[in-house]
Amino acid sequence: MSTTELHEQLKDRLGVESADDSVVTLGAVGALCLLGSAVAFLIGSPFTALPLAGFLFTVGYGLWNHQATTAKALTFLATIATGAILALITVYLIIEAFPAIREMGLAMFTKTSGRMWITRGEEVYSLVPMMWGTLVTTVLAMLIAGPLGVAGALFISEIAPDAVREIVKPAVETLAGIPSIVYGFIGFTILNDYMMENLDLPSSGSLVIVGLVVGLMALPTVVSVAEDAISSVPESMKSGSLALGTTDWQTIKNITLPAAFSGVSAAVLLGVGRAIGETMAATVILGHAQVLPEPLYDVFGNTETLTSLIASQYGVASSTHMSALFAAGVVLFVTVTVLSIASQYIERRMQIQLQGDT
Amino acid sequence: MSEQTATRTAAPAVDLFDRIALGVVGLSIVTFLLGWTTLFERTGTDTAVAGLSLFTLFGAVFLLAGIGLLVSGIASYVGAFETTADRYTGIGTGLGLGIVGFAVGGLATTILFGVGATGSVLVGLVVGLVVTSGVAVLPEDLGTTFPVGLLGLAWGGLLVTGAVDAGWFWNPPSLDATFHAPIVVPLATIALSLLIAWSGAIVAEGFGSQGRQNGAYLLIGLNAFGMIAVLLLLILFVVQKGLPKLLEGAQFGPGLGISVPFLTKGVMLGQQYNGIFPAIVGTIWLVIGAVLLAVPIGIGAAVFLTEYAEQGRFTAIIETTTNALWSTPSIVYGLFGYAFLVPRFGNSNSLLAGMFVLGFMLLPLVVITSRESIKSVPDEYRDASAALGVNQWQTIRSVVLPAAMPGVVTGVILGVGRIAGETAPILLVTSGQPFPARAPSILGSFRFVATPPFVQNEALLQASSALPYQLYAVITAGVGQEEAFGWGTALVLLLVVLGFYAIGIASRIYFRRKLHQ
Repeated sequence: MSTTELHEQLKDRLGVESADDSVVTLGAVGALCLLGSAVAFLIGSPFTALPLAGFLFTVGYGLWNHQATTAKALTFLATIATGAILALITVYLIIEAFPAIREMGLAMFTKTSGRMWITRGEEVYSLVPMMWGTLVTTVLAMLIAGPLGVAGALFISEIAPDAVREIVKPAVETLAGIPSIVYGFIGFTILNDYMMENLDLPSSGSLVIVGLVVGLMALPTVVSVAEDAISSVPESMKSGSLALGTTDWQTIKNITLPAAFSGVSAAVLLGVGRAIGETMAATVILGHAQVLPEPLYDVFGNTETLTSLIASQYGVASSTHMSALFAAGVVLFVTVTVLSIASQYIERRMQIQLQGDT
Repeated sequence: MSEQTATRTAAPAVDLFDRIALGVVGLSIVTFLLGWTTLFERTGTDTAVAGLSLFTLFGAVFLLAGIGLLVSGIASYVGAFETTADRYTGIGTGLGLGIVGFAVGGLATTILFGVGATGSVLVGLVVGLVVTSGVAVLPEDLGTTFPVGLLGLAWGGLLVTGAVDAGWFWNPPSLDATFHAPIVVPLATIALSLLIAWSGAIVAEGFGSQGRQNGAYLLIGLNAFGMIAVLLLLILFVVQKGLPKLLEGAQFGPGLGISVPFLTKGVMLGQQYNGIFPAIVGTIWLVIGAVLLAVPIGIGAAVFLTEYAEQGRFTAIIETTTNALWSTPSIVYGLFGYAFLVPRFGNSNSLLAGMFVLGFMLLPLVVITSRESIKSVPDEYRDASAALGVNQWQTIRSVVLPAAMPGVVTGVILGVGRIAGETAPILLVTSGQPFPARAPSILGSFRFVATPPFVQNEALLQASSALPYQLYAVITAGVGQEEAFGWGTALVLLLVVLGFYAIGIASRIYFRRKLHQ
């Protein structure tokens, strides 16, 4: 590519109308410097600071002389950076997880017999018990957060008088803010003892407590997202129904909820994502046994979740063991990302539908 | 059966009908609350109310409520009172009660006859199906009262006759757990109280669509009340447990100045009062670093996506990416920092790595909230500015961003509240000594050197504690005398996080009021 072509392209990209060569040169220098520092950082070079300083200098000069163009370029860079973080996370998780997956093959996700997690000597890494633990806690959590969350969302958006809503809505938001480690600490010091005392459990920690606590933590997510979905149902649809002489509840049940159904399910999916990714509560409450519960539905036993496995073992892990933990991270990441994309797809479809209806 | 067209009159008889129904609702709410206090061990099996032990009292109430429901159901059915009951109860209510039937039938089978899991699930399914279809075709006044009333009679009978008393237990052969009466009775009582309250609320409005609305609103309202109760109880509980430790050795008052050693000291041998000062400083620096990283990038990206870019595939991809980043579990961020940042920042856990990871976590939230508030700036503002002949950037800088700032600030504050409490990433990339004596001194450690990278800051590259990590350290160190230390830390952490939330929410309310003036 000739220099003039490059200039043309840069002009197009940055939207510079007048043929101002100094701006184009500036952009090229800045881009080169930034690229240089990114590459230097990736290979871990101590010279990262040099190109970075060059970039900062270019930006400073640009802001002084060509503010509009530089600002636009910077916002574009910020956008790219946001996307790049997700890409970097994906790449680094997979690179680190690769050795363990290569060593164990598919057995990592299918081995269900014998000892499934041996970190010394003849190493065996099967994620099945952790996946099962995550599944059980997530199902328990959603049994709580799903119905209660949707009911809470209905209350806030449709039923509560204004004054009550002004209290309940911030309260739910605040509930979302309570750090997971605080829940975990309460679970660890109070609930574990309570369960051992009252249910004669042989060991401290059980899936059912984790499910309960995580359900409580996923609840505010479900409430806020479902509330957004429910209140986005056009007022005209509701008033049409009310004008036919139905009660408020009949309108909610027959018009509002069906119209908001996809949005509400997106909310539940997001809640599932939160529940799957919840780390600290599971880590401090569970007793960390990498075995399948016996029988499988025994929710009072100890097993492990994907998140608590990583948090409890990263400190003692090395080489393949660490890589196996990254494989657990990959499973988590992929599941939650798929859930997130699915819920966004559903939400977008709902918006299009509602716009079509009105 | 009463007809749909019938309207309720203000006859004295209806008054009585209403009173029975409201009595049922009131009684069941009392047992509901008592159930919770028993579960939390505030009331116990030995608590006596009006000469009755607690469980007998539960039983008596359920017998009364059950009879009340049955009587009112029959009374409405035979037309003794005019109600607006529908011809059929309908499949929705049928399904709901069917699920209750499934649970009750299955549990009863396995408890009474020791049938295994598969067998009891099958029996439960049969019971559930029978209840569902039965209730669905019954007239509404019977369908909504009879199953619940009968259940109330049965459970009340078990409690009053002492068939289920304080010493009762059930030990399922396949599980390690043993279910004792002090847990089972309150749980069953809470569940049944809800059912009875729902049924009573339907009766109170004379069935029909009004009745169903009343029943549903009662449950939904209780749920909202429950969420607030959970929040308040959690906060009060942590305050009650943590306050003594927080104020240990604290001095304030006239002439004394203010000193709270728990907040201003580290952990040292031979020190009278140990504290969490290093963790507080660590959290402050982590938050500052994360905000410095995430806010400029986040607002920049939001400006580009909303003001410059054409809405199309590119913006859709970035939006999806941002939302995916927002829901990525914190432990995954931790792993990423462990693999990517730690090796590049001197190969040891460091504050700087923690700042970056928390910044990455904060970033999607800043992008999302900034986009929302930039979008909500009316186009008239932009047009008016453009009409003055200034370019797009000047419009953004002087008109759009200032108008969007309240929303952005609120979003950032709420996001900071969230990351200040994050533990998992800190655990992987920042944590060092569990109980440090000294706080990192960032400002005092900047040095300029002749070789790249020219600026050095030892403190930034060293491991540090943070409030959530401090709490985790208490847990892993083993519970004992340190538990009080943990509660104190939990209280401070909660105060910090909830403080951010309170400021965020208050500023949102303030800006909204100002906008509507």
